Amino acid sequence: MSIPTAAAAEPVIRVAGLHKAYGETRAVDGVSFEVQAGTIFGLLGPNGAGKTTTVEVLEGLREPDRGEVRVLGVDAVRDPDRLKPRIGVSLQTAALYPKLTVVEVLDLFRGFYHLGRRSTDELISLMDLGEKRTTRTQNLSGGQRQRLSVALALVNDPELVFLDEPTTGMDPAARRALWDVVLGLRSAGRTVLLTTHYLEEAEVLCDRVAIMDHGHILEEGTVEELVSRRFKERAVRFDTIDGLPEERLARMPGVATVKHEDGDTLLYTRDVAGTIGAVLDAAEGLGVEPANLGVRRATLEDVFLDLTGRALRD
Amino acid sequence: MRPLLLLTVANIKSFTRDRAALFWTLAFPLIFVLLFGSIFTGGSSERSIGFADLDGTPASGQLKGAFAALWNLKIVDGTEDELLASMKKGDVVAVIIVPKGYSQTVAAKAGPANLTVYTDPSQSGADATTRQLVGFVLSAVNQAVAGVPPAVEPSFKPIQTNDLTFISYLVPSILGMSLMQVGIFASVPLVADRQKLILKRLQATPLRRWQLVGSNVLMRLLIAIVQTAIIVGVGSALYHVQVAGSWLLIGGLILLGSLAFIALGYVIASFAKTEDAANGMTSVVQFPLMFLSGTFFPIDAMPDALKTVARALPLTYLGDGLRQVMVDGTPFSPLWVCFAVLAVWLVACFGIAARFFKWQ
Repeated sequence: MSIPTAAAAEPVIRVAGLHKAYGETRAVDGVSFEVQAGTIFGLLGPNGAGKTTTVEVLEGLREPDRGEVRVLGVDAVRDPDRLKPRIGVSLQTAALYPKLTVVEVLDLFRGFYHLGRRSTDELISLMDLGEKRTTRTQNLSGGQRQRLSVALALVNDPELVFLDEPTTGMDPAARRALWDVVLGLRSAGRTVLLTTHYLEEAEVLCDRVAIMDHGHILEEGTVEELVSRRFKERAVRFDTIDGLPEERLARMPGVATVKHEDGDTLLYTRDVAGTIGAVLDAAEGLGVEPANLGVRRATLEDVFLDLTGRALRD
Repeated sequence: MRPLLLLTVANIKSFTRDRAALFWTLAFPLIFVLLFGSIFTGGSSERSIGFADLDGTPASGQLKGAFAALWNLKIVDGTEDELLASMKKGDVVAVIIVPKGYSQTVAAKAGPANLTVYTDPSQSGADATTRQLVGFVLSAVNQAVAGVPPAVEPSFKPIQTNDLTFISYLVPSILGMSLMQVGIFASVPLVADRQKLILKRLQATPLRRWQLVGSNVLMRLLIAIVQTAIIVGVGSALYHVQVAGSWLLIGGLILLGSLAFIALGYVIASFAKTEDAANGMTSVVQFPLMFLSGTFFPIDAMPDALKTVARALPLTYLGDGLRQVMVDGTPFSPLWVCFAVLAVWLVACFGIAARFFKWQ
């Protein structure tokens, strides 16, 4: 990887005041962030949050209404042609020629680039598509298609890789294998911008994340920062007990916030032992035992729920 | 150039692996030529007559020559049994037997030599024709043998109204129609690629738009060449359709016509949002072009209102130009007009597509 040391200070992506509207809908409404070289950056948010539009502007595929967009030191709006040989793109929906085989599509895309091309065999083994070499893409499963789409994003050995929902439709094993590929890219000094629905994925992979909703970035930082900024507490969770009033939960020792989610009660507390004791007492008073009682650190999921009022997977 | 060629190869692979597309572009025009060819030229058996020469003398040979000289009549040699068998199969419509000793009988003027003629009364048209032809030939022979100069002699001036002229008219027309279809149906895979986000994905690579459009055009032109070879080849092999004019002019018309129709395909793709819509819109565009452009019958036979429409349509000029060059038929307009009108359509469609076509 040949990132000049002088340019190391300059971020790989710098977005400032990005706006894009479709008619009345403000898809992206004043987005700013930076991504440093050699890191994995996650853009999280529900469908329609504006993630894909933002990414497509960065890839030089869409013109924004206004805002500054510099990618790899290039103005992505004015000069997309200088950018394209150096980036790799996997779209949210894998876009492939249905009648061509895996090898044919890879060879075709390799032919679009002049420099730094990775061999088709290398990519096929990296993405574990060996058994499907001569299968037409229309006959691949959703997960295999997604893997081929990622392989296509890597044909030019790009400095910056955009992966839009790359693990959608993958089984857990394939998802973990892809995580290894993404972490491998970072080890090789590449930069990755990832959008995802899976918060677990973001926690495992991303050095920094930005949470988007309604065209805005609500919060940005490392996962650790985001969690601790919002939750100084830990979460005590148990299956919601009927007849246990909200006020009583809120008055338990150390409890700062009470949340209900999918039949669970979550108590964010600074005093785990005191809270658990109070819960057990209260349950006993009602003649029940709290089921699935547990303690955990707050996660990105909690941050997301707190920020948007809904779980990301919905 | 390399990305352009690679993409063209990819397009050709996608096309040839799509059986339906292959059928409609290659087999369909062929079926058209064969269908109209067999309707308008009639079956070949109608004009085949079996001739069994048991005499085998110069005189019987002359008689055979007299039959063979008749327009549209094919003579099949063989023994009596063979010929009767092929008549039962329908390969020949009649069998004439020249008996042994025919020339002696004629030379000696020893009474009429007897020809046996087998005909099939169930084939009333062929039966009557055979009787007339035999009567015509024999009266000429009788006159010659008797040495009496004919009092009245017909002088035949063939004016073809149907048969060969119509198929000659049809081959370039069907070629024009096929080129039109190949061109405007460029819309469907283009919209499909856009709908499947393939166009968007390609735009994220260094591939330029001109390379993308160029590869589409190149593939369509290749199909056009293959179609031309099939249609003209079958037309000349089966129906003796000749190419009278210069291949350079034909090539020029095919190139310009194909480009104009591909551009029209891009116009359709500019307004169709889905693959199904593109299919429907293209069909809607193709039918008036097909039927109002003099493909199946000359424009002169149309009512005045339709004539006006026909004179604005590009296929009218492509078909007209091809007919002029290939059969040297009566032109509707001089050749340069054909080129000019097609060029105007090309420029206009290109302009509209450039303005309205969306890549995403």
